[in-house]
Amino acid sequence: MSRLLLLIALRIRREVLEWSGTWWFLLTLTIQAAVGPLIGMFVWSAVYPADPYVATYYVALLLVTVMTESFEQHTFSEKLYDGTISHDLLRPQPVVVDVIGANLAIRIWMTVMGIPLALLAGVAFGVSLTWVSVVAAVPVLVLGAVLRFCFVFLLSMAAFWTERVHAIAGFGWTLTSLLGGTIAPLAFLPGPLREIGQVLPFYGMLGLPADIVAGRTEGLLSGLAYQAAWITAFAGLAVWLWRAGIRRYTVVGA
Amino acid sequence: MKLLRLSAAGFARSVQATLAFRVNLLFDVGLSIIGMVASLATVFIVYARTDSLAGWTEAETYVLIGTFQVLSSLKSTFIDPNLAWFPDNGIRRGMLDTFMLQPAPTLYLASLGKSTPLSLVQSVLGLGVIAFGLTELPAPAAIVAWLVTLAAALTVTWAMGVLLACLAFWAPRLQLEVFYSSAWQLGGYPTDIYRRPLRLVLTYLLPLTLIATVPTSTLLDGPRVLVLVSTVVGAGVSCSLAVVCWRLGLRRYTGATS
Repeated sequence: MSRLLLLIALRIRREVLEWSGTWWFLLTLTIQAAVGPLIGMFVWSAVYPADPYVATYYVALLLVTVMTESFEQHTFSEKLYDGTISHDLLRPQPVVVDVIGANLAIRIWMTVMGIPLALLAGVAFGVSLTWVSVVAAVPVLVLGAVLRFCFVFLLSMAAFWTERVHAIAGFGWTLTSLLGGTIAPLAFLPGPLREIGQVLPFYGMLGLPADIVAGRTEGLLSGLAYQAAWITAFAGLAVWLWRAGIRRYTVVGA
Repeated sequence: MKLLRLSAAGFARSVQATLAFRVNLLFDVGLSIIGMVASLATVFIVYARTDSLAGWTEAETYVLIGTFQVLSSLKSTFIDPNLAWFPDNGIRRGMLDTFMLQPAPTLYLASLGKSTPLSLVQSVLGLGVIAFGLTELPAPAAIVAWLVTLAAALTVTWAMGVLLACLAFWAPRLQLEVFYSSAWQLGGYPTDIYRRPLRLVLTYLLPLTLIATVPTSTLLDGPRVLVLVSTVVGAGVSCSLAVVCWRLGLRRYTGATS
């Protein structure tokens, strides 16, 4: 286990250094990630101009979104398409180490770039946070980040069977926006949609950490259990899909 | 006329290429429908909580969303395949050299030469949403004015894309197109929801107000001469600016390949 953590840490270090040369591209990724929460903030601030929850929720959501972004359809699936994953398969470490390393390195850079944006939005909308809710949100945020990675990684493994992995990832993104709390906080969804949203995993990726930061801490423990259940399900499915996919994988060339 | 024939030939070739991969076609059509349903769900969710969003009723917002989808679809079909990643592909990798050797205007080849017809599916869905949102059939004059403002919006969109691409002649590493795509998303909502500094930027600097809000208002409230004239003049000015900047940029371009 400690060897695995060391390998991941080394990979993160290498990826952080590699990505530091493409700061402009990372900034574009951060802006792209921030647009959804910003639009939501403007829309719901127009609907409820006097409710401080809206601005607090969306500033937190902005930060949660950039801190949990996952791009495995690029960092992993493209390796399947161009065959370079063969090199990773020959190395004495699990393939997922590099995937996790790249994921966390991108998230670190996006967080660095997203914090000023969130601060700017927070000042513009007069948001005030309490330390208690921010600290309470940390475990939920960590599990949310793991959950989002597992979900996107699962979708990315569709590359073993189809060339349309970007379309599948796009579909996943639509679901996450709709039921994860970007288009509207879960509390604002109409009855049946809200009940569906509470069960599906998308709320645990984005909306739940943002809700905790916004002071709705009453569902903290049940939220952690719900996230852990979905992570277990996704991790099990990922292992199964990986085994099935790698049996199917073929590559030509030396 | 020559450019129109060239465009028609290129478009027909793209259609043939698209139809050759039918599973991909079905996949993308399905995805367009899901995207549209998500947009409609957004409107439905918002109006479940309020009767008016910055003065827009639910039906009016459906027309706005539909118009935005039509424009986004035309952008994705004719503009994005050419100008997306232009600094990287066109300037740094030297694709522009190939365009300059071909017997057609370089600006046309670089900005409108390729198309992705599949993205037009979104237009059909957008028109359906507009029909769904309209409570009564608009007057013929309103429809004509809507088409004019739509054409003007598309021209401005193209001009903005070209102007951003032109920056690559001076700063090849500057990739502003992604920022433009992100800002584009803001045009799908009534501009009045944005607070003042941002609203001014969206109206005058990046004229995203023109993109969907003006054509929608024209279709719903009927044509207004002042709006029509300023829209057409704005489109003409932005188009001329794009052509001039492109020519200035080309003079500076020294080639990236041997």
